[in-house]
Amino acid sequence: MEFVLNNLFFLLVYPGGLFCVAMGILLSGADRILVARMQRRVGPPLLQNWYDVLKCCGKETIIPRHARRGVYLFAPVAGFAALVTIPLFLPVVNGRPAFSGNSDLVVVLYLLTLVSVCGMVGASASGSPFAGVGLSREMVAMISYELPFVLVILAVSLKTVILSEAGVPLTFSLTEIWNYQAANGPLICHWSLIPAALAMLFVIPCEVGMHPFDVAEAETEICEGMLSEYSGKPLAVYKLTHMVKLYVMTALFYVLFLGGMSTGIAAADGAILAVVCLLLTFLTMSLPHAVCARFRVEQVFKFYWTWVSGLALVSLVLVFFGL
Amino acid sequence: MEQFWNEFPILSVITLFLGAFLTSLVGRASEKAGRVVSGIAVTAPLAMMLCLIRPVMLQGQIITYWLGGWEPVEGWAIGICLEVDALSLFFALIVTVAVFVSCFYAFTYMNHDDALSNYYTLFLMLSGSVLGLVLSGDLFNVFVMIEIMTFTAVALTAFRTTYEGALEGAFKYLAVGSLGSTCVLVGIAMTYSQLHTLNLAQIAALVPAFRGNTVLHMAFAFLFVGFGTKAFLFPFHPLAADAHAVAPASISLMISGVLTKCGVYGIIRLIYVLFQNANVVTVSYLVTGFGAVSMFVCVTMAFNQHNFKRLLAFHSISQVGYVITVAGLSSALGLGAGLYHAMNHTIFKGLLFLTAGAVQHQTGSLDLDRLGGLSRRMPKTTALFLIGAASISGLPPFNGFASKWMIYQATFTAGLIHHNLFYLAVCVCALITSVLTLASFIKVTQSVFFGQLPAEYAGVEEVPLSMRAPMWVLAALCLLTGIFPAQIQRFLLTPAVSAVANIPAYVDAAMGEGYAAAHGVPGAEVSALPVGGAWSPLSWLALLFSVTCAVAIVAILGSARDEAHEYISQTQDGAAGAKYDSFFSGEEAVYSQVGGSDLFWGFKHNWKRYFAVMQRWHSGIVNDYTLYGVAAIAFVLLVCTLAL
Amino acid sequence: MFEKMIDRSMAKSPWIFHINAGSCNGCDIELVSVLTPRYDAERLGFRLTGTPRQADIVVVSGPVTLQSRDRLIRTLEQVPQPRVVVSLGSCPRSGNVFKGSYAIDGPLEKWTHVDVSVAGCTPKPEAIVAALAQATEILEQKRKEMRK
Repeated sequence: MEFVLNNLFFLLVYPGGLFCVAMGILLSGADRILVARMQRRVGPPLLQNWYDVLKCCGKETIIPRHARRGVYLFAPVAGFAALVTIPLFLPVVNGRPAFSGNSDLVVVLYLLTLVSVCGMVGASASGSPFAGVGLSREMVAMISYELPFVLVILAVSLKTVILSEAGVPLTFSLTEIWNYQAANGPLICHWSLIPAALAMLFVIPCEVGMHPFDVAEAETEICEGMLSEYSGKPLAVYKLTHMVKLYVMTALFYVLFLGGMSTGIAAADGAILAVVCLLLTFLTMSLPHAVCARFRVEQVFKFYWTWVSGLALVSLVLVFFGL
Repeated sequence: MEQFWNEFPILSVITLFLGAFLTSLVGRASEKAGRVVSGIAVTAPLAMMLCLIRPVMLQGQIITYWLGGWEPVEGWAIGICLEVDALSLFFALIVTVAVFVSCFYAFTYMNHDDALSNYYTLFLMLSGSVLGLVLSGDLFNVFVMIEIMTFTAVALTAFRTTYEGALEGAFKYLAVGSLGSTCVLVGIAMTYSQLHTLNLAQIAALVPAFRGNTVLHMAFAFLFVGFGTKAFLFPFHPLAADAHAVAPASISLMISGVLTKCGVYGIIRLIYVLFQNANVVTVSYLVTGFGAVSMFVCVTMAFNQHNFKRLLAFHSISQVGYVITVAGLSSALGLGAGLYHAMNHTIFKGLLFLTAGAVQHQTGSLDLDRLGGLSRRMPKTTALFLIGAASISGLPPFNGFASKWMIYQATFTAGLIHHNLFYLAVCVCALITSVLTLASFIKVTQSVFFGQLPAEYAGVEEVPLSMRAPMWVLAALCLLTGIFPAQIQRFLLTPAVSAVANIPAYVDAAMGEGYAAAHGVPGAEVSALPVGGAWSPLSWLALLFSVTCAVAIVAILGSARDEAHEYISQTQDGAAGAKYDSFFSGEEAVYSQVGGSDLFWGFKHNWKRYFAVMQRWHSGIVNDYTLYGVAAIAFVLLVCTLAL
Repeated sequence: MFEKMIDRSMAKSPWIFHINAGSCNGCDIELVSVLTPRYDAERLGFRLTGTPRQADIVVVSGPVTLQSRDRLIRTLEQVPQPRVVVSLGSCPRSGNVFKGSYAIDGPLEKWTHVDVSVAGCTPKPEAIVAALAQATEILEQKRKEMRK
């Protein structure tokens, strides 16, 4: 019973559910303010995105005639559910994930994929041609960032992997990554992994779908793309998913490259995490948003498969030769 | 050891062949009788194979059956032998399940066709030959079964002679498939010339004494290419596409789920047991390389397809590529991952082919550019397709994820232990292939099941339960094998992998106690496969729980069911009543479906040179394909004779 | 309580969808200038959306030409409730200099209920911001009525 209650708490309150929603709202609100300040505007209030979500809840939900009702309503919620499961695997505090046992990077990778897939299936089920174009772009964006993401994951795993008692390597284990950093300092201080960290910084905005890389949700060209037909409550869930993704991706960076630090006080660790996430949001999302215009989809693909993947590959090769 | 189940291997094969002849006799008189006979003929072997799980998988027995009681004399096997170890049984289970599902699906699926007694006869012969192949303990018997398998498969591919390209596809399959069969035959002849035996166990026992024998190396090359042809590995993959697209869906299931598995079985048996050279670096590179190239080339080829089943066919080779890739790693984890993925591939690709068949059965079309919006007319088929698509794309919690996770771990570990960049590159390739697979299935989802429904398909109906039931069986298997990987591993994978590693036991079971030791056969016991993060059932529970919560939320939200959804457009003058139309920038809601070939422009644009080359290579001319085959043989021969 | 929160955020996050019903582009430019750093309507939560499905406030500019009439009505239909219609500039109110033209089928009131209208050819951005702020209040009012 206690076990069930514990896990329920993990899933619904901390570190899943409420906590990541709160972090997502704060981070995305901060992002909007930061962009506004860089453009010499005042910007919306910090909780603006929360108001947006609430407002969407209060609107009428129109299910278009060409939509497949069940999938149209269910897909955003399923994506959100998959997303709030991810923080349970991230050992953000004390190096221990909320769930006992090994947490696994590939699981995180595929859960992130699942979130995007739910978005695409939902868009597809809405029956709009704009959504069709949007999901095509989203998929291409996903192929784009997946290669550098995979290379980063391999580089980090290769650096931190250890042999278990049976002589079998514990691959892709987030716990091991954390332990390695606790013993040898954060990975970002290892110069062979700096290119990988840079690549990861580029992966974050594309994975979240933030401004210069938001090809799938371009308002003006393809009428919000994937979300073209969405209104009311499902739209609110989509917006929420988008915000939580912001937190999850920055926290993932924290675990991969800045992990291993612990003050011993849970609250202090949480504060450090929040500050790091905020900094990363500024660096990877607000800054490019204020500076760049939106890319075309084939530019995104080219950029990620050449420059960003190149950076990650450099790291992988350096780590491979034991540097 | 005289147990009643010792007769099961031969009985199951004979049941299928006997069923084939009986169907052709009875089926002409009454179609129903033909169905009953074939139904019994596919159920009995499945039951027998399930009975064998306990002795073979759990107790580790190896069942041998000598036809006519011609047992080996003075250490020489001259009789024909069936030898069932855990590896054979593993593939036999895959085969019998697939045959079972395919047969029951075909009962309704084939009702638009005539000459059905011929269909069932050929189908049962195909099934019998495949089962005979994986259970056989004799190399020449393997060849005979391959021949029966190829010719029945060719006949079944061309079964719907009225279909455009059916005869062409069958002819290509026949021509290039014969090339593969010939390779096997030449390989067998060369082996026989050196070892003077055709019994698998005896070959395995004698090979260690012949290390460095060039003729045997050439024999290995021929056998490898021969089995590779049967698995449709690169460069033989265009055949599969041509054959799948025109064959009935139940036969596509057989070709992709069962026939390719014979090639996989052959290659595993070849490199681990017969020639025991899987740990030789050249062989490992050869097998892994061919697997990785097939995996990647086929998944990119699938991007350009306009035909539902052609697309699935390319993915089929791509997934088999995964299996071959990890089988070449020569590690227990790799082999386990390969077997697991082989099993999963049969399940989810079977499901996908059957949904494609359902679409074809109801609409008469497989064109990705013309279909659309079928989820409104065929919601259950859509759900089944989504399960299959999620499995093949490796999304948790379906089975594709579990086996792909093992594949990544196996390739990564191989790269780490051997300190080898090639294996790491293969790992990256596997991960990227997985994303590209997902992209393809998003394309199918969008262009067949979602989007807008063309007017010509407005009257399409859901397939009957008799077709859905076999699909649900496969869908349930997709979920079960994904949620209980630890159990699959314990009851199926570990025994099969140990059986592969334990060559002396395989030899002794056929040739008599002590034969292996006398010939110095090396053998190693395999410890249980390593267990890592993804196996933790708790994470699956968490995901399932949160998805259930999500379902509950939707149910509550949905209870605020706005009656307006049932709104019907009133075509008043002007534009009123457009509330529930798709937003189309204010224009009238005309039919506008984003079809298959319109998607992923950004990707295709950057790869246009690659795709241009690929298009030139896949010319569709059988002479070219044969030439690629010959080139592959020459390449493998060269590598094997020079570098082994 | 949740419903009250929704009511309150209705006024805090109005998303605008802009329909050009044959406007000369003057008003359209002024509407965009409202979002620039100088006037910064985003501080009130305004955002331009690309689809009517997500809109709360529909801003219509132009004298409703025959060509645009059906498209205008169709798009207005597709905006979910509660919604507010704002007419921008003199054209949608009176037809302005185009009044009496064979190509005009206005004014906007003929086709839909207009909640707020901004006069001027073209209206000043300050006036547009004031009108939008007024529209948000109507929006909240409509939401409360809709709940009852």
